[in-house]
Amino acid sequence: MSVDLAFRPISVLSADICAGRLSAVALLDVMLDRIARLDPPLQSYLHLSAGARGTADAADRDIRDGRWRGPLHGIPIALKDNYLTEDMPTAAGTTAPGISFPLRDSAAARRLRDAGAVLLGKTRMHEFAWGTITPPTRNPWDVDYIPGGSSGGSGAAVAAGLCAGALGSDTGGSIRIPASFCGTVGLKPTFGRISRAGIVPHSWSLDHAGPLTRTVSDAAIMLEVLAGYDPADPGSLDHPVPDYAASLTAPVRGLRIAVCRNHFFGRNHPAVEQAVEEAIRWFSAQGAPVHDVTVPNLDYGLGAIFAIELASSTAYHDISLRHGRTEDYTADVRLLVELGRFVTGPDYLKAEQFRHVLMRDFRSVFSEADLVIGPTVPVTAPRVGETTVEVANGRESALAATWRLTYPYNLTGLPAISIPCGFDGTGLPIGLQIAARPFDEATLLRAAHAYEKAHDWKDRHPGV
Amino acid sequence: MEALQDIIGTALTEQRLRQNLASYATILDAIRKLRSLDLTDTHPAIVYDPLLPYREDPE
Repeated sequence: MSVDLAFRPISVLSADICAGRLSAVALLDVMLDRIARLDPPLQSYLHLSAGARGTADAADRDIRDGRWRGPLHGIPIALKDNYLTEDMPTAAGTTAPGISFPLRDSAAARRLRDAGAVLLGKTRMHEFAWGTITPPTRNPWDVDYIPGGSSGGSGAAVAAGLCAGALGSDTGGSIRIPASFCGTVGLKPTFGRISRAGIVPHSWSLDHAGPLTRTVSDAAIMLEVLAGYDPADPGSLDHPVPDYAASLTAPVRGLRIAVCRNHFFGRNHPAVEQAVEEAIRWFSAQGAPVHDVTVPNLDYGLGAIFAIELASSTAYHDISLRHGRTEDYTADVRLLVELGRFVTGPDYLKAEQFRHVLMRDFRSVFSEADLVIGPTVPVTAPRVGETTVEVANGRESALAATWRLTYPYNLTGLPAISIPCGFDGTGLPIGLQIAARPFDEATLLRAAHAYEKAHDWKDRHPGV
Repeated sequence: MEALQDIIGTALTEQRLRQNLASYATILDAIRKLRSLDLTDTHPAIVYDPLLPYREDPE
């Protein structure tokens, strides 16, 4: 019963809670019991909320009294450790002395609370969101493998049934990469769709907030609560929020699908390439016409994202650098923060100019397509400590491979989702990435939901 | 090295700076490629917004 409850989608849990068949407290207890038993080898959580039980209790009372607030009321949600919270400490993944963050709610945490969600705890992340490993967190499908990052704790907790959904943040792929490696859904919405106010910044013009969930409909539920204009986030955009859940039922027939054959294909692990090609054929078989495109300017993307991410991160950490506090960062993050000093002003601005070029290229793609489909990551999760991975035609740096297919959508700010589309020979999940026009998350979710419904990937859970 | 330390505003030791420069080499390759583009007539994606403070703290 508790295993079934732990993996039940938010949409089902919510209906049960609303109808009085399940109490928020009972659901919270299931999660806390599982965390106590199963999280020690996974280490997905950094902190558990002391106030969660009170919130769950209040949710049960409110619902009994007819004050149901919506589909997240009474639902246990975890937050990545870079979302400020008024009742839980935030560390942004660092243990360096002299670094502290205020006890106040980020905009996303506030929206979740207002929707009645039970904020369960804070999940581990790669330090300052600057990496894709998230030590010491492990992958629930096999603890010898990494969960991805930087939202690795959220990915592991969702996949292992240690929360109903979680928040992540995505600067170069940090929601979608752990979603792909852990076999969950990971949604990076359009830049400006979800407020980042109160999220510890990594790179202001690349950072996105978004959910990791076990199903696409759960991602739609969370997006609907989280989306909306917030003047406290300078990147927030005032754009109508549609009924995402309602859009899920529309068929995919007639949706035009582009497959970008350069950059996204040709350097993937054969198992990944095969699973993604099968998914593309499935869409085609549903009456969604598929055509190939190329975006040659993607060849320049790596320099652009490095210039922006390095310079921005170093600007953010400038005072810590000057006071020598970065010496206590982990070695990889310390190095990256120091390297940003080498990015010149013209390099940075050229990268921002390039983004404009790339955004126009994708606008052109979307003039003849509704969606772009491809792999999320060229490989499945690397083994802990592995620095190179096998791709087509040889081995490649794990770091270079991991974010290659995700960062284009940070540069362009386009919405992109990762959903499970199979498993490799060792039983590790493979992610399918779908991108759409700016603010067209509804079409993105509709296509992802249709694919998910026709396959049983979401019903497979790690044997933790 | 001293001139470089001054220009980039770092107090890192010379040895650390040399190590960092070596680590930066592969990144610089990617940035060099970006530099080769002629983007003279392209506005950066980041646009200055004089109204921003009025939206952040509406009166």
